[in-house]
Amino acid sequence: MRFLAYLARRVVGIAAVMVGVSIITFAISHVVPADPAVAALGDHATGEQIAAFRHEYGLDRSLVDQYLIYVGGLARGDLGTSIRTRRPVASDLADFFPATIELALAALLVALVLGLPAGVWSAVRRGGAPDHAVRVLVLAGGSLPIFWLGLMVIGVGYFQLGWFPGGGRIDAFVAPPPPRTGLYVVDSILAGDVDALGSSLRHLILPALTLGYFSTALVARMTRASMLESLGQDYIRTARMKGLRERVVVWRHALRNALIPTVTILGLTFASLLSGAVLTETIFSWPGLGRYATASAVSLDFPAVMGVTLLAAVAYPLANLVVDVVYYWLDPRIQRGG
Amino acid sequence: MSRSHPLAILFAAALLVAAACSAPTAPGTSGSAAPSATGGQAGTLVYYADVSDLISLDPAVAYEFSGVLLVHNAYETLVQFQGSDLSNLKPALATKWDIKDAGSNWQISFDLRSGAKFASGNPITADDVVYSLQRVIKLNKSPAFLFTDIAQLKADSVTASGANTVVITMPKTASPQGLLSILTFTVGSVVDSKEVKSHETGGDSGSAWLLDRSAGSGPYNIDHWTKNAEVLLKANASYGGTKPNLSQILIKHVPESTNQQFALERGDADVARNLSPQQIAAEQGKQGVTTTKGDSLQLVYVGMNVMMKPLDNVKVREALRSAIDYNGIVNDLLKGNAKKVQGIVPAGLAGHNPDAPFQQDVSKAKSLLAEGGQPNGFSTELLVPTGPAPGGAQWSDIAAKLQDDWKKIGVNVQIKQTTQAELLTTYRAQKGQLVLILWGPDFPDPDANAGPFTDYAAKSIAWRNGWNDTTIADKAKKAALITDASARNTAYKEITDYVLHNGPYAVLYQPTENFGLRSNVKGFAWNPMGYLDFAAITK
Repeated sequence: MRFLAYLARRVVGIAAVMVGVSIITFAISHVVPADPAVAALGDHATGEQIAAFRHEYGLDRSLVDQYLIYVGGLARGDLGTSIRTRRPVASDLADFFPATIELALAALLVALVLGLPAGVWSAVRRGGAPDHAVRVLVLAGGSLPIFWLGLMVIGVGYFQLGWFPGGGRIDAFVAPPPPRTGLYVVDSILAGDVDALGSSLRHLILPALTLGYFSTALVARMTRASMLESLGQDYIRTARMKGLRERVVVWRHALRNALIPTVTILGLTFASLLSGAVLTETIFSWPGLGRYATASAVSLDFPAVMGVTLLAAVAYPLANLVVDVVYYWLDPRIQRGG
Repeated sequence: MSRSHPLAILFAAALLVAAACSAPTAPGTSGSAAPSATGGQAGTLVYYADVSDLISLDPAVAYEFSGVLLVHNAYETLVQFQGSDLSNLKPALATKWDIKDAGSNWQISFDLRSGAKFASGNPITADDVVYSLQRVIKLNKSPAFLFTDIAQLKADSVTASGANTVVITMPKTASPQGLLSILTFTVGSVVDSKEVKSHETGGDSGSAWLLDRSAGSGPYNIDHWTKNAEVLLKANASYGGTKPNLSQILIKHVPESTNQQFALERGDADVARNLSPQQIAAEQGKQGVTTTKGDSLQLVYVGMNVMMKPLDNVKVREALRSAIDYNGIVNDLLKGNAKKVQGIVPAGLAGHNPDAPFQQDVSKAKSLLAEGGQPNGFSTELLVPTGPAPGGAQWSDIAAKLQDDWKKIGVNVQIKQTTQAELLTTYRAQKGQLVLILWGPDFPDPDANAGPFTDYAAKSIAWRNGWNDTTIADKAKKAALITDASARNTAYKEITDYVLHNGPYAVLYQPTENFGLRSNVKGFAWNPMGYLDFAAITK
């Protein structure tokens, strides 16, 4: 029950954050000294066209009015109409967000599958060759510009070797699976569509590696540090003295405790992957939210910018919430309320 | 947590990777179960481009480069320009047309091709044409001003006279030649009125339905548009003109030009639209790849706001023009991807004035500056957009070059770089000082430039720069209405000569467009208005 009450408090917290974020985003996006109608209609539009457009999108009203109209729509689940694409923002988000989630999940998987063992390995072999190798990789992951990395990855994986496609989500002549989750890999498994699964997986790998590299480095570094701390604890000495095999000591006893900070990192990484995949999406022609967000910002598309920001504002606390639930599962002291 | 957990994850991941790698559709390989999106595929042209500007495929709405390119290939217009020729009007849906002076107005009649059909099989009638043109006026979206402002049409200006004749009535103050030019453009596309009417919702004239499909009679139909990913065109079996050579055109949205270059070299792309001048240079001599140029009607220019002292002084403006190293911009910065054009009408349009008298002359510029009352120079601000300029160099690099050139005559320019939207907001409010920007004509006629560049009352470019010269504006208006071609050219020669030395502009260059092509792609002819006929392409 304590946990449920805690959960309820967090959900209320998320709602409060959204109100705050919507006000701040709205205020900031109207500070820019440029007219969204000009951005949408361009250099050649006449004064009358600009005026008609401003009226159609309510841009001729006061800021407070605009905000209230926006929030009123929001309460009805209406995110408004994008000034740039002229479509409802909700449909745009529904089109582009699943692509970004799919990419972020895949990147997270990369980080987990590569970063976790690398961190453990490097801690166990501290000072040895594996440790140095992992540290170099971590350093590179933290300092390589993702744009450069992406181009290198395409240059090798697509251009030189031809093992993977050079961009996009699925082959143009392979029909996307019927949308259920919006994640092509999941949907094609659900539909039992082998062609779509193969094509979407092959398209996913290079961008996921690129986007996941930074997180891999982060996870490896964090896991290494907390593993080193765990391995020095008394209970580990006790476990070893009991004669447990080293593998059990490391993976079962030390890692479980070392995982808590790593989970925190993963949660935050996932949220930042969702909102930070812009460059990866551009390099890999990935039709996701990052590129939508950039294009919207450049063309002063307030409704779209608001929609994306609100989505991100929900994503961060949600990721934190998931992290908390995982904590609860990992750490018995939290379960006992200790 | 089980002991084998991490290993299980690794194993699962390895399986997934193996499944993906062994999938039979690796690019560039043959024998695939499903056809892959490779340029090697017979019958399909794969066109890599940044099409992030795509908003709608409705001819009454589309006014962005990508939208116009697609709409142009899916619809027919009454009259057309073929290939890259913008001076000889050719029949399209109309087999003949006639301009009649009806006393108080012009009456232009069009006889439709008999037996013409839409892709749906519906016959094309005068009613379809009337519906299509009235629809543009009624919807009043971005391209509508071409009809309502330039040609001064109203909805009832377009009427059917029998099943196969359309009559357009326009006031004597508008130019019939201008209207014919406008009708070659996508805004003049004829839509299948039966189809579109049956999909109207909430008085939208079917615009929501036409957003991502086509209902026309052009050589291709729009098969599908997956947003931010691709558009597929399929040949229209009932097209009345020369049958298209290729059965499919796949437009892939690829924003990153390096990616386009990779795909071109690997043969996955047949056309790469957005290669930089450096990339074009790197493609020279590569196996299986060729490059080609296309003309553009854009002009890159600096606007000088005459409401800001000392830019009000004509000598000062002439000094600024005389200090610029135009050759350096064209040859070094743009690697030759531009023409040195200095008049306000671009090459390729009637009325173009080939005189380009300016090239950097520091001592002449300094003495002009002294004559203009600024012997010690002055300081001002240059507004510059972000991103790449037409021709391939960054706007900021061109601005830095100008800053450098003007510094030599003692004019200190502070560069202020903003997004184009922010720049235009300032410029349109007459608040710029020096503004580096581009202009492309809305329709292929000199009036599309001479009007905005001279007419203060039109609230376009002349207005933004505070230049109110009614004499030259009147001359430009009269020139637009001249029907005799050589008399018209003479009139434009006088106008462009005058603006060259008196106007508030320094026209820097006219960019050329570059395309990377696979060597087997033939028949690629870029129309300077920003589109091409896919039907003429073979591979």
